[in-house]
Amino acid sequence: MTVEKNSQRILSYTRDVMAGYPREQRFTLAMLQDIQKKYKYIPRESLEQLSDHLGVPLSKLYSIATFYKALSLQPKGDHVIRVCDGTACHIRSSMVIVDELAKILMIKPGETTSDGKFSLETVNCLGSCAMAPAMVIDETYYGKVTPSRTREILNEYGGVDCE
Amino acid sequence: MSESNRPKRTILVCCGTGCLANHSLKIYHKLKELITKAGVDVAVETYIKTTGCNGLCEKGPIVKITPDDIAYFKVKESDVEEIFEKTILQGEVINRLLYLDSVTGKRFKSHKENDFYKRQMKIALRNIGEIDPADIFDYIERGGYESLKKALFTMTPESIIEEVVKSGLRGRGGAGFPTGRKWKQCAGYNNYPKYVLCNGDEGDPGAFMDRSIMEGDPHSIIEGMAICAYALGSNTGFAYIRDEYALAVKNMSNAINKAKEAKFLGENILGSGFNFDIQIVRGGGAFVCGESTALMSSIEGKVGEPRAKYIRSVEKGLWGQPTVLNNVETWANIPVIIEKGGEWYSGIGAPKSTGTKVFSLVGKIRNTGLVEVPMGIALRELIFDIGGGITAGRKFKAVQTGGPSGGCIPESLLDLNVDFDSLTKAGSMMGSGGMIVMDERTCMVDVARYYLNFLAEESCGKCLPCREGIKRMLEILNSICAGKGLAGDIELLQEICATVSEASLCALGKSAPNPVVTTIHYFEDEYLAHIRDKRCPAGVCKELTTYYIDPENCKGCGLCLKNCPAGAVSGQPKSWHSIDQKLCIKCGNCIDNCKFHAVKIR
Amino acid sequence: MIITINGRQCEAEHGEFILDVALRNGIQIPTLCHSEALPGLASCRLCIVEVIENNWSKVVASCVYPITSEIEVVTHSEKIKRMRKTLLKLLGARAPQNAYVRKLLAEHEVTPAARFQGDPDENCIMCGLCVSACDKIGAGAISTVYRGIAKKVSTPYDEPSKTCIGCSACAGVCPTGAIKVQESHGKRIIWKKEFELLSCAVCGKPFITPEQIAYLKAKLNQEIDEILCETCKRKAAGERFAQTCADLTASKGLLR
Repeated sequence: MTVEKNSQRILSYTRDVMAGYPREQRFTLAMLQDIQKKYKYIPRESLEQLSDHLGVPLSKLYSIATFYKALSLQPKGDHVIRVCDGTACHIRSSMVIVDELAKILMIKPGETTSDGKFSLETVNCLGSCAMAPAMVIDETYYGKVTPSRTREILNEYGGVDCE
Repeated sequence: MSESNRPKRTILVCCGTGCLANHSLKIYHKLKELITKAGVDVAVETYIKTTGCNGLCEKGPIVKITPDDIAYFKVKESDVEEIFEKTILQGEVINRLLYLDSVTGKRFKSHKENDFYKRQMKIALRNIGEIDPADIFDYIERGGYESLKKALFTMTPESIIEEVVKSGLRGRGGAGFPTGRKWKQCAGYNNYPKYVLCNGDEGDPGAFMDRSIMEGDPHSIIEGMAICAYALGSNTGFAYIRDEYALAVKNMSNAINKAKEAKFLGENILGSGFNFDIQIVRGGGAFVCGESTALMSSIEGKVGEPRAKYIRSVEKGLWGQPTVLNNVETWANIPVIIEKGGEWYSGIGAPKSTGTKVFSLVGKIRNTGLVEVPMGIALRELIFDIGGGITAGRKFKAVQTGGPSGGCIPESLLDLNVDFDSLTKAGSMMGSGGMIVMDERTCMVDVARYYLNFLAEESCGKCLPCREGIKRMLEILNSICAGKGLAGDIELLQEICATVSEASLCALGKSAPNPVVTTIHYFEDEYLAHIRDKRCPAGVCKELTTYYIDPENCKGCGLCLKNCPAGAVSGQPKSWHSIDQKLCIKCGNCIDNCKFHAVKIR
Repeated sequence: MIITINGRQCEAEHGEFILDVALRNGIQIPTLCHSEALPGLASCRLCIVEVIENNWSKVVASCVYPITSEIEVVTHSEKIKRMRKTLLKLLGARAPQNAYVRKLLAEHEVTPAARFQGDPDENCIMCGLCVSACDKIGAGAISTVYRGIAKKVSTPYDEPSKTCIGCSACAGVCPTGAIKVQESHGKRIIWKKEFELLSCAVCGKPFITPEQIAYLKAKLNQEIDEILCETCKRKAAGERFAQTCADLTASKGLLR
């Protein structure tokens, strides 16, 4: 797909999202969340289009997009790994899991592998403290994760090529 | 089949987050398939439902069967056929799936008999685990929306507020402001429209009671909000729900729609002439939005920064209009207070902290889960009797309450009666009711650092003391944990704490020093071990920790070798194992898996 | 109503802010983010004071604390002085090389804490005045981005903003001179955006961007025929005033 065509699709999807809400500032976050859900990030075209539509300066939308953790301005990998670093998980050594994943994937939390396959993130609490330390890949929960199990789990998603 | 004369039987499959993660939905589908296939062959008319969280997540998935009052724990997919064959078809109890008391070795048929549930008193969680949250009739069958009817047709707005005042109910989301007083203040402003808000942006790590209520009993929240709206003359409500809680958003939306269809929401509710509607706003993922003015700012479509002005939201809140904001658990209490009266409610719990409170017991505790107990319960009872004590036979060190705004309470205070004021006096706070239990393998300096790191990311960053104070405290704590602590660091931390706690703009900043203040206060020795002796007694801070295996205790079982992800352990079976320090990544797997206390920390 | 500030009785209106009353009475309270034109930020917290009411003392930001009863205010108690020093220490750690911050530290006898790793190139103290100014003008070119300790002020995507009119009001209100404005050869560069500068019709000094002129036209809803810099405008106004006075005197003389 050419860049231009892709951009057209983004604009058209953003238009659909905007049409689903009254043209009021209070629906900004909801619209951005819908766009985020679709693309796993907020494309710049969308943010500019929304700015025109709502009559809100781009700087304010940019401020919102960088403020809320549910929104991202960076594209994400095919699979998003979120390791819970809630307190219960933290004291059950969640950071050891993060370190191990970072070592295998050769990225830091917040980054995406060069092949675009995995993004690694930490989250504050998944509310799944009974299975601490917990992690979620896309929508699937993994509980009582150990460093030795991480590679096995990644293999379910095709594993890591870049080794 | 002793109970075959009963008209029907219901199987309740717990689909709270903990059980879902352990594949409870597969259990549900498989059971349902078996029931449908068997059809009329089953002598008892059998229904099957999914429910919200039963609380005892540690022992999930949980399957309950009523009216037989059987509760099965840790059910696996492979158990489903046996449950169907024996229990559903023949009314037989499967002993091995019942709750096992680890101390007495006794098994209990009903979940209500075991120590975890026996001591609980459920008000806010009254329906969770008993009803299908998607089915409004389940809620109605248990008396749901009767309180709304009572309020609309037999009470005046003043008398509703009076009941809530009398109940002594205090806000379950943080500081514990009296709910009735808040409503009364808001009712005093003759300025419309007024708004009624629900804070479902639960953000304290380790607390998941609000999630559980939104997922498992959404109508109790809706009913509570509608009663308040009627008392204030408000027609519009908003429920601000954390976006990560997909199931909560789904169940709340569905419940709002069902309530509208049944005329409990919308225009002319139940023919009373009163209109009230609730809209859902998905939170953007910002802890600071738990602060009321930041939350309102977020609903307005702006960045979630707290308001600097000294004006109360009950006077000027959302869009500058009078607003009442309560959290999920508070709302869930309201229908019961209206039903049974404020006096009844105030008779439960402690004098200045009435009623019950939901706590999430997590961390190094045996029975991880959600419990609801009367306020004033001793910490010891909560952690050791209900929670089953510490995992792996280790020693209790501290319990953290109140999330990032709270503090750590040491062993010497285990007999503390848990209520709003006693926790504050101990330097911590109630917060939303998260209780993170810590043992000797938890480093208290690392815990303080953990919370500061959390707040460094979650502070809105607007005011200088909170933003810069947290940044510098974190800088010091990072350096202490890396073995670079200096003499004077503790005093410098205390100096910053004193200023941040009073000069900050909002409650997040003002309470941000609590984790540091309490860990220094109760665990100064541990700080000194890091700073002076360059040692982490808990074996958590990597730069300050060396693991070694004591030949005296090592039995050569090989568990450490098996669990080491770095290949740093070597040794022959039944002989002493040793750790190659060059390969060791200090993950602690060896020490956590050793059953003979042979792995030690230097 | 009458309130007491540092033991002195001061007249105050209901709802007035403590800081305003104090300043009117010649009582100095340090502030960084306070501006009469852009009130309500309350981000620097240097203006904290103790309010004593019903034998109960609390620390409040005087710039936004409204007076609603006859309170007692203490602006320089030991506690306040101690806290202010800590705030300044934190400020010094953030912008260790900034001249204005250093001056403030010296004035309050605060020695910078050697414990902290400060960024020598940092001059912004995140008071938010620049963003308020830009919003008030209506350009909305800059805003705060990110949150927590990473919060900063920037244009969207850190690129030249389409809506920036190059008025440099942000730089004008900045208390620490953190916003760089480069002007040379009839050009102005601010927030990475380059503007052409139009010259004053009288003195010839390049001083205003065409975008500003367009903005003024739209705002005043009228054509601007002559571009005058502030100095020349004032001079012209002065001359016009003198002329009017002269005319008036003359006409009065005539009448008499």
